[in-house]
Amino acid sequence: MRQLITLSLLASVLILSCRPKAADQTPSAGEINPERFAVIGGAEMGGFMDDAFHDEGQEASLGNLLATQLQKVGLMDFIQPVVSSTIGCNTSGKSKLILGYKTDCLGATSLSPVRYSATGDQLVFSQPYTKEHQNFGIPELKVSSLWTSGYANENQYFSRVTPSPNSDKVASKFLSTNPTFFAMMLGVDDVLGYAKKGASVGEMTPVNGFSSNLTELVDSLTVKGAKGILATVPDISELPYFTTIPYNGLNLTADKAASLNQIFNPIGISFQVGPNPFIIEDPAIGGFGVRKMVEGECVLLAVPLDSVKCYQMGSVFPFRDEFVLTLNELDEIQTRISQYNAVISQLANDNGLALVDAYSFYKKLKSGMMYNGVNMSLTFVSGGAVSLDGLHLTPRGNALLANEFIRSINTKYNSTVPLLNATSYRGTRFP
Amino acid sequence: MCCKPLLLVSLMSLFNTVTYSQGFQVNFQGQKQQGMASAGTALPLDGSVVFQNPGAMPLVKENEISAGFTPVFANILFEENGSDQIGRTNSPMGTPFSAYALFKPKKETKWSAGLAIYTPFGSTVQWEDGWIGRFALNRLQLKAVYIQPTFAYQLNNWLSMGGGVVYSTGNVNLQKTIPVEDMSGQEGLAELDGKSAGWGYNLGVHLKPTEKLGIGLTYRSQIDMKVDEGTADFTVPASLEANFPDGTFASQLPLPQVATLGLAYAFSDRFTAVFDANWIGWKAYDTLAFDYAVNTASLVDTKSARNYENAFSLRLGAQYNVTNWFTARAGIAYGKTPVQDGFLTPETPDANRLSYTAGCSATIGKHWSIDVSVLYVQLSREDTNLETGLSGKFSTKVVAPGIGLAYKFQQK
Repeated sequence: MRQLITLSLLASVLILSCRPKAADQTPSAGEINPERFAVIGGAEMGGFMDDAFHDEGQEASLGNLLATQLQKVGLMDFIQPVVSSTIGCNTSGKSKLILGYKTDCLGATSLSPVRYSATGDQLVFSQPYTKEHQNFGIPELKVSSLWTSGYANENQYFSRVTPSPNSDKVASKFLSTNPTFFAMMLGVDDVLGYAKKGASVGEMTPVNGFSSNLTELVDSLTVKGAKGILATVPDISELPYFTTIPYNGLNLTADKAASLNQIFNPIGISFQVGPNPFIIEDPAIGGFGVRKMVEGECVLLAVPLDSVKCYQMGSVFPFRDEFVLTLNELDEIQTRISQYNAVISQLANDNGLALVDAYSFYKKLKSGMMYNGVNMSLTFVSGGAVSLDGLHLTPRGNALLANEFIRSINTKYNSTVPLLNATSYRGTRFP
Repeated sequence: MCCKPLLLVSLMSLFNTVTYSQGFQVNFQGQKQQGMASAGTALPLDGSVVFQNPGAMPLVKENEISAGFTPVFANILFEENGSDQIGRTNSPMGTPFSAYALFKPKKETKWSAGLAIYTPFGSTVQWEDGWIGRFALNRLQLKAVYIQPTFAYQLNNWLSMGGGVVYSTGNVNLQKTIPVEDMSGQEGLAELDGKSAGWGYNLGVHLKPTEKLGIGLTYRSQIDMKVDEGTADFTVPASLEANFPDGTFASQLPLPQVATLGLAYAFSDRFTAVFDANWIGWKAYDTLAFDYAVNTASLVDTKSARNYENAFSLRLGAQYNVTNWFTARAGIAYGKTPVQDGFLTPETPDANRLSYTAGCSATIGKHWSIDVSVLYVQLSREDTNLETGLSGKFSTKVVAPGIGLAYKFQQK
């Protein structure tokens, strides 16, 4: 019996010791000095999402997510110019978007982005954040405006974070944080504002000016020994804002097709029962200046959907230029993006900086990315990666992008900054 | 028009568990064998022979009624690649058991009858709340009981054979998080629950070419555990309820065929060594399919590749009769995993493994005997799952102490 007792004692010891031990991992900063970290960029970097600045978005800003992980390798403080608002606000005075129910002109109720509040939180802009901070993620910030003094007069998102709006330059303010390590994602807004308006007003930043402004900023940082990471510009035309409404979303009954044929047959346009391409204005083609859309062209999410559903917008009343990107315009935008990306890659290469290929990351998202059992994509609402404005990433989207940054940093600088658990950040929330 | 959610949530990987043996097979069908790395196909020792090798049943010298129980303490750790994220299981204790009745009317009778009730697989894997792999699995509970009436016949001094029909009945319950969240951030949950049943058989031949050498050959057939009408229950935000209708599903899980060659050699009256080689037909577990009675854009039937390979295990053990009433045992086994790279899951974070076992038996009086055993396994494997993208290292430690009690009575 003694043997039995000995054996059962042995067994109890074994049971107690049967929890596997996690490996001891001390993350290393490698060749970077994370003492002072600052970021510059647009909406993603600053945490603008769901068409507004709000607390939850800023908490999950690309800049803050990167800082959170860099804090594991020695970064002390990273201060964001917080808005302190749940409701949030954008420069049009509107609150953030959430998913809710909306009844359209046909009386059909469906899930749709709706404003969280009737008006935005005006305090976001009326009480600027004038203290020192390290996040220069400023929506609509173009490379062409980096060195413009008094830029705050053009962009309220900058005026709310700078104490001397009439003289400050974004680049100088950023440089004054004197970063030892920086993250930069610029260039998106040099095309986005133009694309968002259907390439109908304004222009994209010319490559030369883009190149000289960005070079000046990078040089000013590296001359002081700062290391950092640059990001390429994603193909914004693949975002849900541009891709959600199909070019041939004009569904016609026999009656409607017949009546449209009566109107349009004289100018050589005919309709069928079922899906038809929308009709758009296109002065470039001459004649009556209207034509059918072709595959690959984009109807923008800015289009008033009730007008489409009930008031014959997109057919009897062709879409105006501001609601459409034509193949030529798309080509123009995509060409410019690849020119920017050549500049950015070259700069990273010349200065020995890390480079994250955000362009490829968005392409991967477009075709669907499986992350720990979650299928993420660029699809509106259900894809989980892009917020309800159809343009800017959700917290989970930002976390996935932050992980791409971290991978590039680790590869370039022999560091072992831990990746984020993107599943602990939200995607789309449903009522 | 713009907002019809197409939430392709795949509810794969229903079954498939048990971390303490290859795939989801469990080798806890006899305390004496468990002490010798679960080898013993060629060494008839007690009532467990009904499972171990029906062919050897007539060679057991006493009639017996016995039962054994092996609490399993298993802990799994997941460490994600590249991050500092870890996840752990807090699974309840596993409870495999086995019970046997073996009967031969007289010593000189050529036939022998037996009944075995045992759990060749079954356990609960419970991951901690909110772990990073929750969209692959939160919890999987698998229970299966095999009932095997068996008959054997001794042809001559050196050859006997036997066989039994196996009826299996089981229950499976799977819970995983669905990647949709409500306005408060509460994530969705899928719970699949089903009962299954299947038929199979267990055949064995025992050879005794010399006094000292025993050879055993067994074949246990594949059993397909079918769930015809399981219930699927989804907890999702109100706006998505139409996308995830509660309903029924059908699925099927193959429990593989196992062929075994066993050797036993008595080096002396006191010392016997045993060796078993198992071949396990895991290739049958190629795809795991779920067929939902009601499909929606979000809830589609799934076919999920498992791509198991056939596997084998080698088991070496020995027993030593210390006194005429006390026997000590030890063993070591190597098992090759059926799971290929790219297919490791949180249900079965399987790997090639070495198991260590020990055990002993004591006879108490004329009729009673008590057996104890203990198994220790430690394994770890790094992989990136091709389906879910879950990438990291699973480490498992298992301790399984077992106890069995037998009542024996003389054949006339």
